[in-house]
Amino acid sequence: MSDLFHSYDHGRFYDEMFAGPGRPRPHYQRLFDRFGRMDSMSDLLERQRTADQTFVNRGVTFTVYSDTAGTEKIFPFDLIPRIVPAHEWAVLEAGLRQRMQALNLFLADIYSEQRILREGVVPAEMVNTSKHFRREMMGFAMPRGLFVHINGTDLIRDESGAYRVLEDNLRTPSGVSYVLENRQVMKRVFPNLLRDYRVRPVETYANDLLNLLLHLAPEHVPEPTVVLLTPGVYNSAYFEHSFLARQMGIEIVEGSDLVVENDKVYMRRSNGLAPVHVIYRRLDDDFLDPTVFRPDSLLGVPGLVAAYRKGNVALCNPIGTGVADDKAMYYYVPKMIKFYLGQDALLSNIETFLSSDPKDLKYILENLPKLVVKSVNEAGGYGMLVGPHSTAAQIAEFRDKIIANPRNFIAQPTIGLSRCPSVCDTAIEGRHIDLRPYILNGESIKIMPGGLTRVALRKGSLVVNSSQGGGSKDTWVLADDVLAQEQTQSGPEKLIV
Amino acid sequence: MLSRVANLVYWMARQLERAENTARIVDVNAQLVLDLQSRQAADDPRSWEPLVFVAGNDEKFFELYGKTVSERAVVEFMLFDRRNSSSVISCITQARENARCIRDLLAAEVWETLNTFYLKLKDDDFARYAQLGSSEYLNRVKAQIQLFYGVAESMMPRSDEWWFFELGRYLERADNTSRILDVKYYMLLPEVAAVGTALDMIQWGSVLRSCSAFEAFRRSRRGQLNLERVVDFLVRDELFPRSILYSVAEIEQALHRIVNGNEHLIGNPATLAAVSLRQDLESTDSPAVIADGLHEFLDTIQKRIDEIHGAVQATFIDYPTAKAKVLA
Repeated sequence: MSDLFHSYDHGRFYDEMFAGPGRPRPHYQRLFDRFGRMDSMSDLLERQRTADQTFVNRGVTFTVYSDTAGTEKIFPFDLIPRIVPAHEWAVLEAGLRQRMQALNLFLADIYSEQRILREGVVPAEMVNTSKHFRREMMGFAMPRGLFVHINGTDLIRDESGAYRVLEDNLRTPSGVSYVLENRQVMKRVFPNLLRDYRVRPVETYANDLLNLLLHLAPEHVPEPTVVLLTPGVYNSAYFEHSFLARQMGIEIVEGSDLVVENDKVYMRRSNGLAPVHVIYRRLDDDFLDPTVFRPDSLLGVPGLVAAYRKGNVALCNPIGTGVADDKAMYYYVPKMIKFYLGQDALLSNIETFLSSDPKDLKYILENLPKLVVKSVNEAGGYGMLVGPHSTAAQIAEFRDKIIANPRNFIAQPTIGLSRCPSVCDTAIEGRHIDLRPYILNGESIKIMPGGLTRVALRKGSLVVNSSQGGGSKDTWVLADDVLAQEQTQSGPEKLIV
Repeated sequence: MLSRVANLVYWMARQLERAENTARIVDVNAQLVLDLQSRQAADDPRSWEPLVFVAGNDEKFFELYGKTVSERAVVEFMLFDRRNSSSVISCITQARENARCIRDLLAAEVWETLNTFYLKLKDDDFARYAQLGSSEYLNRVKAQIQLFYGVAESMMPRSDEWWFFELGRYLERADNTSRILDVKYYMLLPEVAAVGTALDMIQWGSVLRSCSAFEAFRRSRRGQLNLERVVDFLVRDELFPRSILYSVAEIEQALHRIVNGNEHLIGNPATLAAVSLRQDLESTDSPAVIADGLHEFLDTIQKRIDEIHGAVQATFIDYPTAKAKVLA
């Protein structure tokens, strides 16, 4: 029926759209039909060009570190949406909520009584050797008792289609601006399809985030001032920083704009010093305050941590969350859920081997060509080895690194991530995807419906990071499993259940 | 607004204004050369050399291009050479970079106008300029900058960001107009006897056109195009928006709006410097200035504009934190 999918190769992975050749899954039927009505691939490519041009003109770009002198690129966008049926989302949402609760309790515990360590559920050494454990924060009463405010949990689907947690991002998860921009573009390119599908909106995110930030302000301040602290315009996520600041109507500041006087934070305005009460910082702990953390940091604000400890300013995320998103600590999250909530994890982890455990280490070293090895502190797809896609030399290099510093690595079986049809040059081909939902932990836990679907646009690649040739797709979480009647065409027989 | 951001807005405006004036200067010269065609070949170095001096960048030019001045070299230097920080491409790149840093402040259309312009401009070169013809090409550049001003004017709230934008724009304009006027000093004037000749009038006409002031001048000052009248118009006209006096009055107005509501900033050095320059211009006697040396007069104006710039920086941007006023 549809020429566009005529030569589509399903491969041996879980395919988001097709249950079998020519057999779309129920929630993709409508899209399948609609694309079938397009004249040809050129129609689709024309729309793709329109979308790309929109991103360029709007300046929706990111900066690549390894590239020459901070080149701007558009984050490639793929027109074919990832569709999540309502019942699937309900399960994900419950699992993400549970995970956020447990991680918050874990951090609260780690920075006070350390019950979970004393009871031996998590080895004390794991915390004590973590690069992101901040002893400076021991015993500190976090505003509103919230030890983590924003988590970007990366989810994947394995070969059977089961969702699994790949990792948590509890420091400064990025990408949410692309979710919002992608939706804007899709509204222009496929307005009817979006309406007929009854896709849940994502637009309230900025408002929810602002409410969260205001909730954190020192309680005695009637009209708190919130700012976003960015490392600067050359940061790869600067577009996002400026986008979010604009959406929330708050000032975007750099470290040099802020000064601390008498343990209070001010921003330098043209007419004088204005007090600041909440800082949404997109800067890692290490760079926040040269008097406490890295002394060579020029990005931070001297005296900021002292002001924070006095309760004069709130930080989001708080200092010290990184101890819980360490890729080795990830291994223990299901145990945390059990320990703090007395529940089984609703979302499973991926089987993980800790090279700090001698038994696991042996297994890892014997099976490197089959495994994915990750450095526990790196992000963005840097510092990892994908065994099946690596040369013998690369594997040998990693073997040495692991032996030299076992605490620094974990290994996981190579998972064949699910694939979603994507527009590739002249044809539609399957590409691997993941999903990063954004979880806000303020007065209550709020989860944006959907999140960022990243797609590994390089053929065969499993790495979805933007810095490694990844792109993104719009994520459509459906409001109902029963779809509304198609409005642009007559005939109730078209109803998809 | 944040001091750093105020500075970005201020410089964005200065860069845009500078780019526009550079395009104007090149445009007018290209036309002037056509008028002189009968007397001089278009590639006579003397037809293009004055531009390099006007921009105040002659050392850089000779360093990069050697002593051979040609249309191509000057056009490349002034429009397309990224090594020249005042070239059109450098100014637009910098303005766009500044805009990128303050995107959260700008309406989407304001940013997109500049970004789209930059993307169109960034791969242009002399071949493109020659292919379209100077007049067509430069008109497009000017039109794009005017488009930006138009969009900005209709979208930007009249808060501090607008007034720092105006401050930068008029400060740069006052400086640029003085430089355009100064071009006459460098322009070859064959002999004293040539004053008042057709060539002289063509040159004064070109100075006026550089500032889009030809028609306005004709309407407001009757009589011949001559030195005194043109100087008086471009230095002291109260109504023409590219005259030095008008620009300085706008600087004063922008500062007034920025200071408004901040008692501790009343009587700040920037405002005082602007007021004093405006008053001096108002009482300037053009014939006397010309008799004493126009170039020296213009040089002094440029220095005083630079002093206003320094005072703006010290008052609003780089002030010492310890002495700063803490706002409620």
